[in-house]
Amino acid sequence: MNIADGTQVASHIQHDKPRGLARWLFATNHKDIGTLYLWFSFAMFISGGVMALGIRAELFSPGLQFWQPELFNQLTTLHGLVMVFGAIMPAFTGLANWMLPLMIGAPDMAFARMNNWSFWLLPPAALLLMISFWVPGGAAAAGWTLYAPLSTQGGMGTDLTIFAIHILGVSSIMGAINIVVTVLNLRAPGMTLMKMPMFAWASLITAYLIIAVMPVLAGVVTMVLTDRHFGTHFFNAAGGGDPVMYQHIFWFFGHPEVYIMALPAFGIVSQVIPTFARKPLFGYTSMVYATSSIAILSFMVWAHHMFTTGMPATAQLFFMYATMLIAVPTGVKVFNWVATMWEGAMTFETPMLFAIGFVMLFTIGGLSGVILSVAAVDIQLQDTYYVVAHFHYVLVAGALFSLFSAVYYWFPKMTGKMYSEKLGQLHFWWSLVWFNITFFPMHFLGLAGMPRRIPDYALQFTDFNAIASVGAFMFGFGQLIFFYNMVRSIRHGQPAPQKPWEGANTLEWAIATPAPYHSFVVAPQLEVGDNGVILEMKGGEHH
Amino acid sequence: MRDNRILLKKLLLIACLMFGFAWALIPMYRVICEVTGINRVVKADAAPAAGSSIAPGVPVKLVFDANVQAGLPWQVKPLVRSMMARTGEFVRVDYEITNASNRRVVGQAIPRYLPAAAGPYVHKLDCFCFKEQAFAPGETRRFPVVFVVSRELPAELSELTLAYTVFDVPGKVAS
Ligand SMILES: [Cu+2]
Repeated sequence: MNIADGTQVASHIQHDKPRGLARWLFATNHKDIGTLYLWFSFAMFISGGVMALGIRAELFSPGLQFWQPELFNQLTTLHGLVMVFGAIMPAFTGLANWMLPLMIGAPDMAFARMNNWSFWLLPPAALLLMISFWVPGGAAAAGWTLYAPLSTQGGMGTDLTIFAIHILGVSSIMGAINIVVTVLNLRAPGMTLMKMPMFAWASLITAYLIIAVMPVLAGVVTMVLTDRHFGTHFFNAAGGGDPVMYQHIFWFFGHPEVYIMALPAFGIVSQVIPTFARKPLFGYTSMVYATSSIAILSFMVWAHHMFTTGMPATAQLFFMYATMLIAVPTGVKVFNWVATMWEGAMTFETPMLFAIGFVMLFTIGGLSGVILSVAAVDIQLQDTYYVVAHFHYVLVAGALFSLFSAVYYWFPKMTGKMYSEKLGQLHFWWSLVWFNITFFPMHFLGLAGMPRRIPDYALQFTDFNAIASVGAFMFGFGQLIFFYNMVRSIRHGQPAPQKPWEGANTLEWAIATPAPYHSFVVAPQLEVGDNGVILEMKGGEHH
Repeated sequence: MRDNRILLKKLLLIACLMFGFAWALIPMYRVICEVTGINRVVKADAAPAAGSSIAPGVPVKLVFDANVQAGLPWQVKPLVRSMMARTGEFVRVDYEITNASNRRVVGQAIPRYLPAAAGPYVHKLDCFCFKEQAFAPGETRRFPVVFVVSRELPAELSELTLAYTVFDVPGKVAS
């Protein structure tokens, strides 16, 4: 890659900033598109959150209070789909859009118009999911995994969901292609692969995972669609098909999907912790290899979701040991983060708090994952609240906390304003406390045998459910602190300096704040240390 | 720019191949399961090797039994309690089942073998346990069980018991 290539890309960029609605509708600037992604995923986070509160309201006490079981099932299904495909994945893509070009010295994403498409496919898909609540038969109710034969039977809502998944799949594949090409082809001279920031590595590997498995999801839901309408029998036992086959294909997508939502979080934390510990990231090279090996192993463990489907014992053992093996590279990462903090000159601004919260709570979720990987134990815990507790520790305290960390960390660079540190700290402690009150009791509920996805429960589960419901509502309201902080700080925040964090030393902090609309129009000449630390920079003009 | 387009095309190709891979998984699973036999829940009987002489039948004592779980309206009894037979021969035994209640019921008989290791050597040709049986109030019926004890029965199993337990099929009312 040389400078000439970079400038060629840059010459395609309009030099004036478009105004009004057109700026967003026809957006090709990576920063505008990143902003769109982030606001969209926040809206989806709120929608999915409202559904979660609907679920928790129903589960506050035994018996049916608010919803019929059918609607309850629709709420659990859509909550999962909206959070996974609407909130978490687009949020990471949005951050990658915003920050990758700044962190590796590229003028923009590689395919600016395709970038516009990948974003603008999202709102129609979200709309399809939302309106499915009001079609005859209601929304899809088979769980976010859309298991056959439930999904081959549902009403029209299931069809809308399948179309929405197709659109979301196309969107995320295009987004991922953009990320791969940008990271591989548009790095500034000196920003070599084995020096670039962990966030770039994590985004690159995640993008490869998306390209590899989103088509598999699209394929399997297409089979559901043809089973529903075109008389095929892929998953219909009466016609010679096999419903368990659905699970095999779905989880071939599903487990790598778990890492699509986790690896970017690892990347963010690997940028934030060194900044606030004022120490270089411990074991950068091992981080890169750990991330890659997690990605490769994630293709070999899918059937750990299927221990109760009557698999032969040999297969159970294989998937059990392969799953446990993933704990090794994950352990390497946790060790490296802790070692980075060791004897560091740490300060605890909001991004660092969320990053440390991430490390602690994600590790708890990882450990309950190791417990679930034991086939003999999993047969007891399959489809109980223990599983719900496990994946909310890795997705809420994991993915979501890392996203908050990232938004607070890069907020000054994005907006040129400082957020309110007081409100940020309040948001963190509030979220930390109520998150644990919501999800920790679910471990006990699961161990006691409470099944998931059921609107009613036996009386002995009442107390822990009441605690979890109160926690969920408080956690939910706490997110308004975040919203208020963001909106207020964008309008009235203190102006931010170019480098608001003393220990920040990657490329995005070497340019003006807020990041100029067209940055690195001419690629800079860089000398780079591990994890994208800028040792020397020449050039890199902007407008 | 050209580099970018080439990479774009390669990545699109990967995406398309993975879409095809999802569909290819259907036959792939089938072939893998067939070749490795890891998913063979029902095993077909192996054909006897050609030219091998059939072992002569050996005497075996058969005991017949039946139980009913407490509270259920069934009376079940075999018409003979025990008999001597030879392996490789057809054996027929009759069971009498009565619905002692005054309602219509549907029952399902579940066989059990003692010792359990003898189970695979009893090949049933006909049995009332093959399907659910409907009974009118107070009705009594006789059912045959026809089976062969395999010639491969290990020598240490010289006596085996066949016992039935009859259950109600809940939610089913005989029509
Ligand atoms: Cu998994």
